[in-house]
Amino acid sequence: MSQLEKSFYSKSSMYSFIVVVILFMSMWIGTGQFSHMDWMLFGYMVSSFIFFIGMTVRLTSWIMRPATHEVIKRSIQKMKSKNSQKRNGKAIFKTLIDNIILQKYIFKRGVYRGIQHWLIAWGCIGSLAITFGLTLGWMHFKLVDASTYQMVVFNIPTIQMAADGWLAQMFFEGLNITASMLLIGLAMAIIRRIRDKDLKVTQRAEFDLFPLYLLLAVTLTGLFLTVSYKLLGGWMHPQLALIHQITVVVFLVYFPFGKLVHLPMRPMAVSVPMNYQETPGVDTRDCSGCGELYSNDEQIEDVKAILGAQAFDLKNDEGDWLADYCPACRRKLRVMSQLNLPKGAGKAAPVQTNNGIHMPGFGRKRSEDFYQPAHSGKEEL
Amino acid sequence: MRKVMYLEFERCIGCRACQAACRECGGHDAKERNYVEYVDFFENRQTYPMLCMQCKDPACARVCPANAIQITEEGVVLSAMEEKCIGCRNCTFGCPFGIPKFDFEENKMYKCDMCYDRTQHEIAPMCASVCPSDAIRFIDHDEMMDLRRRRTQMNLIEGKKPSENNKWDYVPEFFGVYSD
Ligand code: SF4
Ligand code: SF4
Repeated sequence: MSQLEKSFYSKSSMYSFIVVVILFMSMWIGTGQFSHMDWMLFGYMVSSFIFFIGMTVRLTSWIMRPATHEVIKRSIQKMKSKNSQKRNGKAIFKTLIDNIILQKYIFKRGVYRGIQHWLIAWGCIGSLAITFGLTLGWMHFKLVDASTYQMVVFNIPTIQMAADGWLAQMFFEGLNITASMLLIGLAMAIIRRIRDKDLKVTQRAEFDLFPLYLLLAVTLTGLFLTVSYKLLGGWMHPQLALIHQITVVVFLVYFPFGKLVHLPMRPMAVSVPMNYQETPGVDTRDCSGCGELYSNDEQIEDVKAILGAQAFDLKNDEGDWLADYCPACRRKLRVMSQLNLPKGAGKAAPVQTNNGIHMPGFGRKRSEDFYQPAHSGKEEL
Repeated sequence: MRKVMYLEFERCIGCRACQAACRECGGHDAKERNYVEYVDFFENRQTYPMLCMQCKDPACARVCPANAIQITEEGVVLSAMEEKCIGCRNCTFGCPFGIPKFDFEENKMYKCDMCYDRTQHEIAPMCASVCPSDAIRFIDHDEMMDLRRRRTQMNLIEGKKPSENNKWDYVPEFFGVYSD
């Protein structure tokens, strides 16, 4: 691999090359040596290539960040390890169902947000799947006889269906269904962005609003196309098709570099139950200060490695690391060292307020005789 | 922004008004992001407030595998972006000062962002605006320098001299975002 890497200018150019070759091969197979390319979709095809190259560059640079790299390294190690297979399977299954398919945690942030996000997410994924499937020639439909269509995936004939059956309808209306989902979700999101004042604090036009309006443009022009040929007898169809194509191209080119790139990054959430916490909220490692459970060994090891890789020196004078302490102990360590009462300086005593002078700091430990009963000193005199 | 947060831990009287104020802040979902804790509960009732330092090179952002923690142009370290955070809690364990909190239900990290909605317009954060004993203050950089100088003089009156590696013996903590 390293030999191959040397032949390229950078990691991302290497991976982009590999991705392009794979895409090209898949097209070659899918379209039967380019025998049934849909040249109407040529513009979409070029932008799909740009999309995949952009995505590869973006994800490569993301994975090269020390933190991401470390977490992924740990995940791969877990995947390979024989005795954590059961845990891995459970983690992947649970993350897939709860986080990705049902998106339960977003519903907990609010039902409105949950519905909105679910509609946009699955509308997007569905539309992208259909778009790529058709433009890259991964699948197409063949008329077998007058009333039967057959779906051809990667040039392999698969299921047959009646041309007016519900399955065929589902396939042909696929983009309309996903577009309707998107439309509802987007409307909800835009209303939320307008109504919710808290969002305005950190919202950025180019990051939070642009993708929203861009998606809306794609969706609306797409739906108009359907309206045009179904209801208006093809009115303005070529112009609308061109506008739609432009919006889709902008969308595909933008996708890897904006907010929406969280879609391919999200599956990393599986590393949380797989690498670190088998059950959420259950810790197994104890703090070197107070002994309370606060994390687990693997995670602290990774955090130390990531910090070390970025030249953070968080070692205490005693030779242990800040990461060995629970968050509460760290807060205390910070206060105490700032007030010049580091570990081992003894107990903090109450601030003396009746000596006329305001003493900064929490005060020092009083000498032992302060704690003696008042008379004991007198008797000695 | 010329204003800074100025903390005098020993002034804290443990009323927890800052935490109540934090809960009230917009978008905080009635959960506080700051801490008020006992120095040594068995010895006395001294408490101290604790907030995020808004580090210049934040460890929390550096250990985040999802690149979810963003820093504003003023230098405020924000809570994780909700769409990116994968909920691993690396930030909680990476922060040297134990600041980021985590909501297991909603699967998101939240932390003190110095009330960015307020401080970006030079309005004091919620905690600083309610602290009755001035343990947390949001003041001008110059005023802060002045206070520290006075504090040094006070220490000299008490006969405390700063020694090497010991500057904290005589100056309280300040942090936050200011352009110098
Ligand atoms: S959370 Fe911790 S590391 Fe991050 S900016 Fe605040 S004090 Fe610094
Ligand atoms: S919990 Fe979220 S913000 Fe914190 S390190 Fe993990 S992904 Fe980043």
